[in-house]
Amino acid sequence: MRKFHLAAIAVLLVTGMTAIAESFSVQLEGGAFKVAGWQPPRTEPSKGWSSVFAVYAGSGDVPPLLGSYAVEGGSLVFHPRYPFAAGVHYRAVFHPPGGGAPIGKTFDGPARDVTPAARVERIYPSGDVLPSNQLRLYIYFSAPMSRGEAAARIHILDDKGKPLPGVLLPGEELWDPNFRRLTMTFDPGRIKRGLTSNEAMGPPITEGKHYTLVIDRDWKDARGAQMVEAFRKSFRGGPAQRTSPDPKQWKVTAPKAGTSEALTVNFPAPMNYPLLQRMLQVSGARGTVSGAVNIDKDETEWRLTPQEPWKPGDYKLAVDTGLEDLAGNSIGQPFDIDVFDHVTEHITSKTISLPFTVR
Amino acid sequence: MNRRTMLIRVAAGLSVAAALVFTVTAAGTGTASLVSGKAQLMSAGPLAFGPDGVLFVGDSIGGAVVALDTNDHTAPKGAVKIDVDGVDAKIAALAGVTPDQIVINDLKVNPISRNVYLSASRGKGPDAMPLIARVDSKGDVSLLSLDKIPNASVSLTDAPAANPTARQNPRMMTITDMSYVNGNVMVAGLSNEEWSSALRSIPFPFKTAEQGATLQIWHASHGRYETQSPVRTFVPYTISGQQYILAAYTCTPLVKIPVSDLKPGAKVKGVTIADLGSGNQPLGMVPYKKDGHEYILVANTSLGLLKLKADNLETYKPIDSPTVTNVAGVPYDTLSNKNVQQLAKLDDANAVILTGKPGSGPAFNPGPAVGPLNISTIALP
Repeated sequence: MRKFHLAAIAVLLVTGMTAIAESFSVQLEGGAFKVAGWQPPRTEPSKGWSSVFAVYAGSGDVPPLLGSYAVEGGSLVFHPRYPFAAGVHYRAVFHPPGGGAPIGKTFDGPARDVTPAARVERIYPSGDVLPSNQLRLYIYFSAPMSRGEAAARIHILDDKGKPLPGVLLPGEELWDPNFRRLTMTFDPGRIKRGLTSNEAMGPPITEGKHYTLVIDRDWKDARGAQMVEAFRKSFRGGPAQRTSPDPKQWKVTAPKAGTSEALTVNFPAPMNYPLLQRMLQVSGARGTVSGAVNIDKDETEWRLTPQEPWKPGDYKLAVDTGLEDLAGNSIGQPFDIDVFDHVTEHITSKTISLPFTVR
Repeated sequence: MNRRTMLIRVAAGLSVAAALVFTVTAAGTGTASLVSGKAQLMSAGPLAFGPDGVLFVGDSIGGAVVALDTNDHTAPKGAVKIDVDGVDAKIAALAGVTPDQIVINDLKVNPISRNVYLSASRGKGPDAMPLIARVDSKGDVSLLSLDKIPNASVSLTDAPAANPTARQNPRMMTITDMSYVNGNVMVAGLSNEEWSSALRSIPFPFKTAEQGATLQIWHASHGRYETQSPVRTFVPYTISGQQYILAAYTCTPLVKIPVSDLKPGAKVKGVTIADLGSGNQPLGMVPYKKDGHEYILVANTSLGLLKLKADNLETYKPIDSPTVTNVAGVPYDTLSNKNVQQLAKLDDANAVILTGKPGSGPAFNPGPAVGPLNISTIALP
């Protein structure tokens, strides 16, 4: 929703007048509606000011716009509670007490800017092979978007271009607070082993098959404008990932002392991108090492470039056990546990530390 | 280990739960604990009624639960029936936007006055403003003034932001449902990053941080596999004199959990009583009794409105093997009501539903219902 600024109010277009008495008029000034030329009584009429003057933002059997009344400079003024909105026609109606034809005037809200500006910037996982039990999809947009459109705008096509039903969980749009990142979930009912849908329909992605993810250009951004272009990503189904990531299998490459080289951590399989942003921390004798985090090589490489050159000494990489791989297996807990084969060996500590030395 | 059970554990260690701090901004008892002023709501999501007409509002963007005094505690004089067509257009007219810019997020009935309350968003993007609408038995629609209303809030986030309007952190816990049970606001949440989820239990009046227990739920209800899954919707429910919550999960097991066991440190055995199948999300539930039998009405994204036959739930053998039928467990009927988006109990004999037209997505996933959105009173079937 585009907020309406004071400067814009001045250029509201007067689009219609139903009747104008000689001495009274309805005006819009500084974001408030005003009856000019009429001296309001000292006290509010018994049926309220709204019985004399009301503003309608809708048509048909709808209540008047919410707001507050005041007598300012000898005139009755209505201040709307909410900001003006694009696409709305505001109809202000004054009923002269004692009779006379009502005086109405219609004002248009600000014009909607429909210049396409938003596009899909990137999608995670970024690789072109997704495990058959892939859990989540993160879509990053270049501008804030409108909610409620994912069902109509996101499609997963098979290798013949036919849309596949039941791949993503219906009815779920998890946005970030800026509405620039959307988290979608593959239907967990088809991922979890032992469930009806997994048995009957198989996993949402089949190993060895080719798919295309399509995001329509028609998806409206937060202003109501369509995107600059559609987005397509091809991928292939890979084997399911059923075990927890094991930090002991990670390769930690220590930087050289006195340099600002990146500390590099390589994983044997891709990890969850948003979680990699915040679930690895480096600390040394002087506390937490601040720096820039980069994630590369289809989320198999994490790098920390320090703000200040490395000092020699012992450091540790603290890994939050909530860190997940692409299939939602966290270090502390696989996505689904085979309770017969692996009986629940839950890791209960919050972090695991990997030591390294800078020389 | 019983494979048909759920373990609810007070999270001492894992991820989300451990870092939670409840920041309390008012204290006292009931409505007396609420302080008049501007309600710090950034969004209005799931609703739940507490004592004395107190309305709890889940604010996912603000990471908080806000208690509002609706000042609406007069019982109706007779039977109540609420039918309003185009409630989205009426809210839009009050708030000064076009109807397509109103998104209705939840619907609940004030158990004292029987008035309907809706939470809504004015807009569909990050600038959307929260709205709380009241619909009375005459069909009149009004919006609560959130600028001056007795309120209190409790933060669900790691730490209160220095600037409450800042939207820097992309991580968000989306509140999926809330319910007031035995003096506690129970809050089901879902992260937009990690899969692990939490059910929180927050004592009301909001008091101190330590008294909010965070529970993590493990599913052991899928054959030989144990999984964790977010609760989508839940209701308090009494079976044989014992208080339970009946929780519906994504994909779509229905599970009963004894409330008496929802205590810090307790391991709770819950039982899966139905699996409603794939490609579906439960939206709301209404338990009721009729002609000496017990039923649960369940609204769903894909399966529509279902009437579960819930007599003797305590006797149901837990589901213990996958089945190739779409559903298993408690038997049910599918009702003819279409495109039910919200469902709430009005009284012992009636429910209120919000319906619209299917969204513009494909038939297998049309997306949220679109306007005109209508409120109707239906007799509990």
